[in-house]
Amino acid sequence: MNRPVRNFIRAESFPLLVVVVLAGAGLAVLRPEFTKEFNLYVLLFDISGSMLVAFSQMMVIATGGMSLAVGATGGLSAVLAAGLMVSYGVPVEVAVVVGLLAGIAMGFANGFLTVKTGINPFIITLATSAAYEGTNFGITSSNPYYDLPTQFTDFGQARTSMFPHPLLISILVAVALGFVLYRTVVGRSILAVGGNARAAEMAGIHVGRTIVIAHVISGFLAALGGLMLMARLGNGSPTIGSQWLLPSFATVLIGGALLAGGKVSITGAILGCALLALIANGLVIFRADPYWVTFLEGALILAAVGLNQLRSTSTRQSIRPRPQAQPMPATK
Amino acid sequence: MRHRSRAIDLWDRFGLLTIVLVSWLVFALFADGFTSDFNIFSVGRAVAVSVVIGLAQMVVIATGGMNISVGAIGGVSAMFTGWLLEGVGVPVPIAILGGIGMGAALGAINGILIVRTGINSFIITLGTASVFSGLMYVVTKVQAFRNLPPDFIDIGQTRWLGVSPLVWAMVFTCAFLWFLYRGTTLGRQMLATGANPRTARLSGVPVNRIIAVTHMLSGALAGLAGVMLLLRIGSAIPTIGGDWVLPSFAAPAVGGTLLSGGVVSVVGTFIGGLLLATIGNGLTLLNVPSFWVELTTGLVLLLAVLLDRARTLAVLRSRTGVQQPAASAAAKVEM
Repeated sequence: MNRPVRNFIRAESFPLLVVVVLAGAGLAVLRPEFTKEFNLYVLLFDISGSMLVAFSQMMVIATGGMSLAVGATGGLSAVLAAGLMVSYGVPVEVAVVVGLLAGIAMGFANGFLTVKTGINPFIITLATSAAYEGTNFGITSSNPYYDLPTQFTDFGQARTSMFPHPLLISILVAVALGFVLYRTVVGRSILAVGGNARAAEMAGIHVGRTIVIAHVISGFLAALGGLMLMARLGNGSPTIGSQWLLPSFATVLIGGALLAGGKVSITGAILGCALLALIANGLVIFRADPYWVTFLEGALILAAVGLNQLRSTSTRQSIRPRPQAQPMPATK
Repeated sequence: MRHRSRAIDLWDRFGLLTIVLVSWLVFALFADGFTSDFNIFSVGRAVAVSVVIGLAQMVVIATGGMNISVGAIGGVSAMFTGWLLEGVGVPVPIAILGGIGMGAALGAINGILIVRTGINSFIITLGTASVFSGLMYVVTKVQAFRNLPPDFIDIGQTRWLGVSPLVWAMVFTCAFLWFLYRGTTLGRQMLATGANPRTARLSGVPVNRIIAVTHMLSGALAGLAGVMLLLRIGSAIPTIGGDWVLPSFAAPAVGGTLLSGGVVSVVGTFIGGLLLATIGNGLTLLNVPSFWVELTTGLVLLLAVLLDRARTLAVLRSRTGVQQPAASAAAKVEM
């Protein structure tokens, strides 16, 4: 076997890719309606939306933190933009930019509070997510903004055969994040802080600033996800983002990221999104109880972290075999 | 703790209680009907439920973990009790014990998974939360049990010695936990585990067993809270527990239970739950839309942890300032 193929097969995400391909192939064989163009379009749109949500969580997990406010940030940003467009007639471009800036500001607030107080990010983002969500429902009075400008919704619903145009944004974001994380100082710092904050600090990395930057990127991505979902839905619903918490962790962890930080996988996260989307889609096609999705998401999180744990233990053992564990085998 | 300043000492003793009293005063003045007999009765029931939810989280926080599945366990237990009463027709006391037992069993599953895998409690309970409620949705087909027997419903409506039985349940639970932490080896071992698991293990505390038992206790308390809420609203709805995560952390955090573990305050959690339920009720009476209650709860939680942080730093500063200036470097790293 030549080298690229071998590397491809040995890549950490390869087993997950096999699972995703098998799941897709299985559905295609068992149910012809799976391969209908519209179904594939829906599937791809789901994936492109959940990719942004996953990336948003992934950036914070990379620093060893977490954000419970991903959904609330996406929801409030989307609703703010919708309010500006519908109630104040602000041009679409301006409203979108304001929505994204709002996401950045909310991410900044999360990061700033976490760093300045030293309180763990779980509790900070639990509190801020309640604040953001409360504000969201306060602004909308729990009623969606209908009549979004067609210029905005047209983009969200545009597709070329089965490829939704928003997918392009998600792919661009994935490429950009890959570049930032692995080729820039900021990205390397984010991973270094997640790997070992103390060592990173001693290596001269500004830990606090790095964590704030990760939260800011996370807020931006959450806002982008919220806006994209809103453009597709065609209305500014206050419930956008309310169901993101579990999938945001599930996709990232299935993708092989460590919750402790320092290690994330963009490819893995995308495959995680694909897997969850396939499961949801498959349940719909088989007319199964949709509530199995909740169950399976939870079960997949447990399976994913369990596998990660196994892998890290076995890696540790193979790298550093216990002294005097067993007599060395004489022959091989 | 000898070097605390006087202001911090005063705040620790009376600060929270003062806030509760001020909020009562404000609502009594501005919210019509806040002091009516009926409202006090219904606030009492709400307080009872929210305190027990807080306690379910508190016991896990004390060991340095967290339990995201309190709401899921509460919901499953409430639905299970509803099914026992309506579907099976068992006597009321058995149904109530069944609900609590279901909670304990689910909590034990959490505990065993956490101890066996060594994975942190946040992610395990996040996963099990959706496993538990997902299974419950599938099994019940998201149908409520609305025809509960009258002798069960009555418990939620009647008064024993002037107050709702739910309040008595809450008082007994608080007393039980207070005794657990003050007077038993198990309770002290839980706190030792939370303060420093490594030291605890070296001192002979069976840390893993303690963590598993704590999660079982938390599950039982969440189950109790589910059953109490069932008594309060009178029918078993699958959405019970869906919004418990925030208040479950807010009540102990407001009450001074440190999120880092090792410290616990049953009385504080009681006052925290009291404050949250009072604010919720008062805002509703003032016709404030319900979503502002969530916003307020979030802000109260944020304020509580920030105050707690400031207090810890002040204590550290006063201690290190007087005795050992060299320790400030260590304190800084700890931040």
